[in-house]
Amino acid sequence: MTYVVTQNCIKCKQMDCVEVCPVDAFHEGPNMLVINPGECIDCTVCVPACPETAIFRDGDVPADQQHFVALNEEMADIWELIDEKGDVPADAAEWSGKTDKFQYFQR
Amino acid sequence: MSEAQVLQIQDSSIGVQDYQKEDFASDQTPRWCPGCGDYSILAQLQRVMPQICADTNTPKENMVFISGIGCSSRFPYYMNTYGFHSIHGRAPTLALGLQVSRPELMTWVITGDGDSLSIGGNHLMHCLRRNLNVKILLFNNRIYGLTKGQYSPTSELGKRTKSSPLGSVARPLNPISIALASQATFVARAIDRDPKLLQEVLLQAAQHKGSAIVEIYQNCNIFNDGAFADFAEKKVRAEQTVKLQHGQPLVFGKQKDKAVVFDKNLQPQVVNLADIDETDILKHDAHSHNPALSYALSQLDYPEFPVPVGVFRAVEAPTYEQRVHQQVVDAKAQQPNADLQQLLEAGDTWTVSE
Repeated sequence: MTYVVTQNCIKCKQMDCVEVCPVDAFHEGPNMLVINPGECIDCTVCVPACPETAIFRDGDVPADQQHFVALNEEMADIWELIDEKGDVPADAAEWSGKTDKFQYFQR
Repeated sequence: MSEAQVLQIQDSSIGVQDYQKEDFASDQTPRWCPGCGDYSILAQLQRVMPQICADTNTPKENMVFISGIGCSSRFPYYMNTYGFHSIHGRAPTLALGLQVSRPELMTWVITGDGDSLSIGGNHLMHCLRRNLNVKILLFNNRIYGLTKGQYSPTSELGKRTKSSPLGSVARPLNPISIALASQATFVARAIDRDPKLLQEVLLQAAQHKGSAIVEIYQNCNIFNDGAFADFAEKKVRAEQTVKLQHGQPLVFGKQKDKAVVFDKNLQPQVVNLADIDETDILKHDAHSHNPALSYALSQLDYPEFPVPVGVFRAVEAPTYEQRVHQQVVDAKAQQPNADLQQLLEAGDTWTVSE
């Protein structure tokens, strides 16, 4: 069991989740975060913390975003650990709520 | 009859080597508050269970978790093994009855600081001195969580809570010291925030024959958030805790530049490694039958000293069930023709007619 960051994070990257995670499970990419499934303890605290509702329990990930489950595991191995909220992208508000953001995903 | 025959371990090794952590997750969604340290303890235990079962040749059907009352005691619902959610403070008593009658089981007691040290203090003490073969996980969050925020036997002096609005006027108990004083044969401490240490300690506790008690510092983020943050958080851990390992020096610090030593009056001190002779560095001895060093280490606390974590003590001793069963075997050998019915009828008896 783990929790998964999905497309709503892309280009918004608010990082409120990082502040509340008790086990530092988040890793930072160019325009989104992912959760390391090996560290995640399913405590659920990041879910309400995210203002973009980007985080789901792995069993509850919407059908069209299933690819994020494997992506979180893959990128957590490559990206750096993040344990502090950094600078939110200046145009985050513009991207909030937009659908179909996976095309902008950067490794 | 040999001891091995008396305590016959079931050999049902089918599948014991092949468990995954998912095999131990039950179908119940945990009801702990989001952010609770209990999630981490559950996750780490489920992660090490496959190895525990493989190493000790214990099939899932022989695994049982017994809890008392409290947030800690929700635990058995979330493990896909046998379990009991029992009465407040009394999990060790059920464990004793079960373990003595079924010594082939691996029995865990899940309890908290309130359950095991308030109402359950008596049972804990006797369970430990008997050296029952049971693994006791004591989730210490220094508060009564389930009942929403009263002070517990491990809350600090002066702690303000709903039931101590002007500050607690009682000194807290130290679970490690209590365990050592009760002659527990395996005593350890872990932290919910340090998954690697927790896994390591759980594995060692599982292997131990006899009473193994692990105090786990667990954060209750609703009623006592941050109780251990000063030394337990990743950023400060290296400087504020010292990991106990048998045979290893009591060295700590990010640069491994400090040590705990005891002066000739047996008083502890923190010294810089640079200032002392290598021969003065104390090595931890977890196997000594004299618990004095372990007890002295259990008294070290933040902020004056680094908080010791890891295994304080691990010694071998016959277990309660071994002694109980052996006594029965020996008694029967003394009187092979003992007959209970004959004993009952030995005195005057009457038959009451209709």
